[in-house]
Amino acid sequence: MKPLLIRLVRLFPEDFRQQFGEDLIDQLSIDYDRARQRSVRHGAAFAVTNAFDLIRSGLLERLRPSYRRTFTHGPAQGASGHMRGMKMGGGMSGGWMTNGWIRDLVHAARSLRRAPGFVAIATLTLGLAVGANAGIFSIVDAVLLDPLPYPEADELVYIAASAPGSDFPEEFGIADEFYVQYSEEADLLSGVATYNDFTATLRVDERVERVPMSTPTISLFATLGVSPMMGRLPVAEDEGQAALISHGAWATWFGSDPNVIGRSYDIIGESRTIVGIMPPDFGFPNPNVLLWIPNDPTAGNINLGRFGIRMVGRLAPGADIAGLVGQLGPLAQRLPERYPETSAAYASLIRQHRPVVRPLTEELLGDASRPLWILLGSVAIVLLIACANITNLFTVRVEGRQRDLAVRRALGAGRGALIRGQMSEAALVAVAAGALGMLMAWAGTPAFLRAAPDNVPRLELVEVGGGTLLFTAGLALFIALACGLLPSLRASSPGLSQLRDAGRGSTRKRHWGRDGLIVAQTALALVLLIGSGLLLRSFWELRNVDAGYETADIFTFQIAPDGDDLNDGPSYARFHTDFMARVAALPSVESVGVVGELPLDEGVRSTTFQNESMAGDDESGSLLNFTWTGGDYFGTMDIEVLQGRAFTAADHQSTFGNAIVSEAAANLLWPGQDPIGRQFRRRNEDIWDTVVGVVEDIRQQNFREAAEPLIYYPLVGQTPDRWAVGSPGYVVKTTLGGDIAPEVRALVREVAPNAPMYAVHTMESLASDSMVQLSFTMLTIALAAVLALLLGAIGLYGILAYVVTRRTQEIGVRMALGARAREVQQMVVAQGARVVLVGVAIGLILAAITTRVLTALLFEVNPLDLVTFVATATVMIGVGLLASYIPARRASTVDPVQSLRSD
Amino acid sequence: MSPRSSGMSTLEYHVLLSMAAGPLYGYAIKDAIEHESDGSVSPRAGSLYRVLGRMMASGLVTEEDPPADEAPHPGLTRKYYGLTPMGREALADQSQRLKQAALLAEKRLGLAKSNR
Repeated sequence: MKPLLIRLVRLFPEDFRQQFGEDLIDQLSIDYDRARQRSVRHGAAFAVTNAFDLIRSGLLERLRPSYRRTFTHGPAQGASGHMRGMKMGGGMSGGWMTNGWIRDLVHAARSLRRAPGFVAIATLTLGLAVGANAGIFSIVDAVLLDPLPYPEADELVYIAASAPGSDFPEEFGIADEFYVQYSEEADLLSGVATYNDFTATLRVDERVERVPMSTPTISLFATLGVSPMMGRLPVAEDEGQAALISHGAWATWFGSDPNVIGRSYDIIGESRTIVGIMPPDFGFPNPNVLLWIPNDPTAGNINLGRFGIRMVGRLAPGADIAGLVGQLGPLAQRLPERYPETSAAYASLIRQHRPVVRPLTEELLGDASRPLWILLGSVAIVLLIACANITNLFTVRVEGRQRDLAVRRALGAGRGALIRGQMSEAALVAVAAGALGMLMAWAGTPAFLRAAPDNVPRLELVEVGGGTLLFTAGLALFIALACGLLPSLRASSPGLSQLRDAGRGSTRKRHWGRDGLIVAQTALALVLLIGSGLLLRSFWELRNVDAGYETADIFTFQIAPDGDDLNDGPSYARFHTDFMARVAALPSVESVGVVGELPLDEGVRSTTFQNESMAGDDESGSLLNFTWTGGDYFGTMDIEVLQGRAFTAADHQSTFGNAIVSEAAANLLWPGQDPIGRQFRRRNEDIWDTVVGVVEDIRQQNFREAAEPLIYYPLVGQTPDRWAVGSPGYVVKTTLGGDIAPEVRALVREVAPNAPMYAVHTMESLASDSMVQLSFTMLTIALAAVLALLLGAIGLYGILAYVVTRRTQEIGVRMALGARAREVQQMVVAQGARVVLVGVAIGLILAAITTRVLTALLFEVNPLDLVTFVATATVMIGVGLLASYIPARRASTVDPVQSLRSD
Repeated sequence: MSPRSSGMSTLEYHVLLSMAAGPLYGYAIKDAIEHESDGSVSPRAGSLYRVLGRMMASGLVTEEDPPADEAPHPGLTRKYYGLTPMGREALADQSQRLKQAALLAEKRLGLAKSNR
């Protein structure tokens, strides 16, 4: 917002800015920051009111031709300039009322007032389109144009690793030792930090909840260039016992009490002290994070080779990404030498390591940016179509006034005057449409945002304010030009023959402009239709994917129990087994199970596994996903047990070392063999587990990604402290669905009053959340497409209806000479069909070129999907023919006698 | 009486008033106006500097050198503005007029009576 206000200062004349420019900008920045700090709303209000003030003051300052500015230093000259500059309050007398433009505008207003229907349709159509554009723009403005609220944000880079040829993922996070190495040795980085985000328990007095947190390195804040609003940043001496809280947490958890600084609270089960409060616009890596517990890896607690940590760096002055990649590569190669305690497998991974560096903006915005650009493109197309429609309406108006214009021309009005008159009408309509659009954007955007996917960052910063206002003003100008130009040219050269033949229509010439617009409308509408058709098919495919599990009637939640008696695998297992029994006893519950990572919600863990024959070889193994499960998880989720058996109650109580593998995992570890009874282990561990069952593969992460191999452990490992499943996801098959939440909550309060219950969903809502980006984009584009289709059809209908009216006489003559109604209908329909067919042909070509921008959103549908192209083109032609048929029918009912008598 | 001082706007009046005790820089003028008007006049930046520009052009206000004892501050060099003799005169005239108008109003509204 601030840069926009500062840009507006340029509206003032040069000499004014020389004198006051710096002070003006300074004052705006200070006051904006103050307002913004109070709240987003104050900031927005400040921006809007000051934008208006700047526009008004700047333009007034420019519009005073008689006004002499004598900014001089010293009283003597100031006094001498006084008499000339005296005209202050009285100002603008005379002059402006006789100004040509003003007079034209007044005339235009009068002329439009006589055509309220036309004005209403034009304003409404354009206003709708402008509103959609302004709304989407305000989102693009906040999310994409100025995405990171950090100084010199373009210097910030995201750093990760890749190891082509290894069994690691295509790209993965770095490990602690990389941070140590990079921060000490990489001089192309002026700052570097690691960060993460996770959910953990925060306890403040009686309130206990799982909240999003982050444990970055202390350097994060210096690297990003942010400082706390109150308090201080943590330092190494705090040893991870100091916490920073977000502005949001300060307000919602601590009642905005400044004395919170210095107090200690139970955070992730330990007492930590709040040392600072971050400013309102700080939310890293995402705006939901409420708490940061900065800490640095030290020689004592470094986790060598524990990959998966995200890293942000700031490029040193003059450094670029390619140079940095060149420096980080060799630095990583020296790691095995620096840490000799690492394994041979580690050394071989490092040999394959390649650094990955890209702008932080790209990393944080990720997939969010493309759909937004696509939406902006779609609504822009709707606006173009609306403009084409209104241009045609204006042209029709002008043609209806040819006699009037010819008279004015004959009386000596210049071409310029006629053009100005026409442009003024377009300008007035454009301004009205702009105002209506702005109003609609202002009223509609919040509702729109509520429907938006919540993975879009910075959405909470969207405001329909000064930026949107400027954008809308620009749109209005564009509309005025687009809708005014063609009709103006038409208006500027009325045939003087109009005066002679009593204005009888010449109909066959000059429709190239009109037809051209219809062709363009049809083509653009078809592009949108095809785009939304492709997305619709993807959505359909995605909905019908076989994920391997059911989503209907499954309620899910997590609890994080904690207590002195909960300290190892068996104790947690007992707790969860007992709690599952309590839940299962509820009347509406069919079955209950738990799982370490809930599908569609929590991602997945992975590590390298070995089968019996790989033992002893440090470098062999397969990277597989693993999780834990208990109760009737497979039955509840309807995951089929293909071979062997599911876990029994006994598996969760003692230490048999039984495990269940998914079909894909079995095929990977024992290809072509019977997996039941076979053994596997994690690489570098000497505990073997035995396969007792094989289950169906499932899509763990989301519906788009193919099922990955997965290993299920029971709740208890072979030793009591091998693992403890503290807060698994519960799945409950119940006819009540999400409505069972209060009953479960009551149970939680009774059994474990200190355990926050969180991540409360139904599998169905998780499923629709996982598709929200696609469904949201699809719905918006579909809406745009329907609007485009409708506007296109109305445009075609309007033009043909007009042509039929103009040709009434001609049609009458034809019918008097024996033409039949059918022939007349065919003639009119053919005229419409010709135009539509050309439009469809062009639209198909345009769509073939542009649909590839949708590729990332599509699912199992080709961007050139023949079915979609043919079907939508058919719809388009059908609508075009229908729009032509209605005027054609009217033409065929022309009474020859009436029509010939009418003049 | 200066012809200028008739029809002075509230903002113009407060701008002159703020500088009556001595030269001020831009942001200080804004602060002074807000303070002296009890917050009832809160000029937007664009309007404030436009008024300042007009008053400089008409010789009521002039740019002056920063005071010798100016405290060190971050950021730009501050530009100071002060009243010319004519500016003082205009302010005095307007104050007089306001005072008379206020007296008249009090009389008509019978404020004196109800106070008793």
